[in-house]
Amino acid sequence: MPKPAPGLFWNPYLQIFLTVLLTAAAQILLKAGADASASNNSFWSWTGMAELGSGMTWLGIIAFVASFGGWLYALRFLPLGLAFALTNGVHVFVPVGAWLFLGEHISLLRGSGILVIIAGIVLLAQSVAQVEEKV
Amino acid sequence: MSLLAWVLVIISQLALVAGQIYLKRAMSRREQPGEKSRGWGGLLFIGIATMTVWFLLWLGLMHQADLSKLMPLEGISPLLIVLGAAVFLRERLNRRGWAGVGLTCIGVLLVSAS
Repeated sequence: MPKPAPGLFWNPYLQIFLTVLLTAAAQILLKAGADASASNNSFWSWTGMAELGSGMTWLGIIAFVASFGGWLYALRFLPLGLAFALTNGVHVFVPVGAWLFLGEHISLLRGSGILVIIAGIVLLAQSVAQVEEKV
Repeated sequence: MSLLAWVLVIISQLALVAGQIYLKRAMSRREQPGEKSRGWGGLLFIGIATMTVWFLLWLGLMHQADLSKLMPLEGISPLLIVLGAAVFLRERLNRRGWAGVGLTCIGVLLVSAS
């Protein structure tokens, strides 16, 4: 596999981390956009076209596109399965962000789920050195 | 959820897995020297087009269905991606890696159940 450019910013794992942060922001914005758009049961409402009328949705799309750059960069250097599993960090950042910034409550079940995800990501990080990729 | 919702969920998950595999193929080919890197832009285009299908379907599903019913599917998708990468890209995870994928999936299920 190719070697990334030197410097912390070009570390593919940092890029995954930035991707996760932007994706978490995008998910919250998209949900806000979906809630804000008028509810209807036409065929187009199933395809997500109705949501495109909301500014929140477009901000969410911008965040998604920005996260996409970091994701493509990381894919140059990391196996897909490993990289994608690491993006589960989104499910840590969304509830923790909601707790920090919106004062939302984290239940015992949710808290334990967050800890299990973190444990999984630690295991994945430990396995990195031993992962082989044959493309 | 209605039958239509389930069909769209399955299509969206297939699009997600296929799209990611094409993105990975494109970026891997881009790293090949000289002539071997040709065609990576086409693969990237297919990947982005497929991810766009997934994205719009996911938006529509978020609109129609309860998020609590959709989020467990988010937990399954890394498992699908790892399986897809093993079959189509011949990626191999060691035992610790599989345990890590399994734990993150269980964690996402717990978070979405709460």
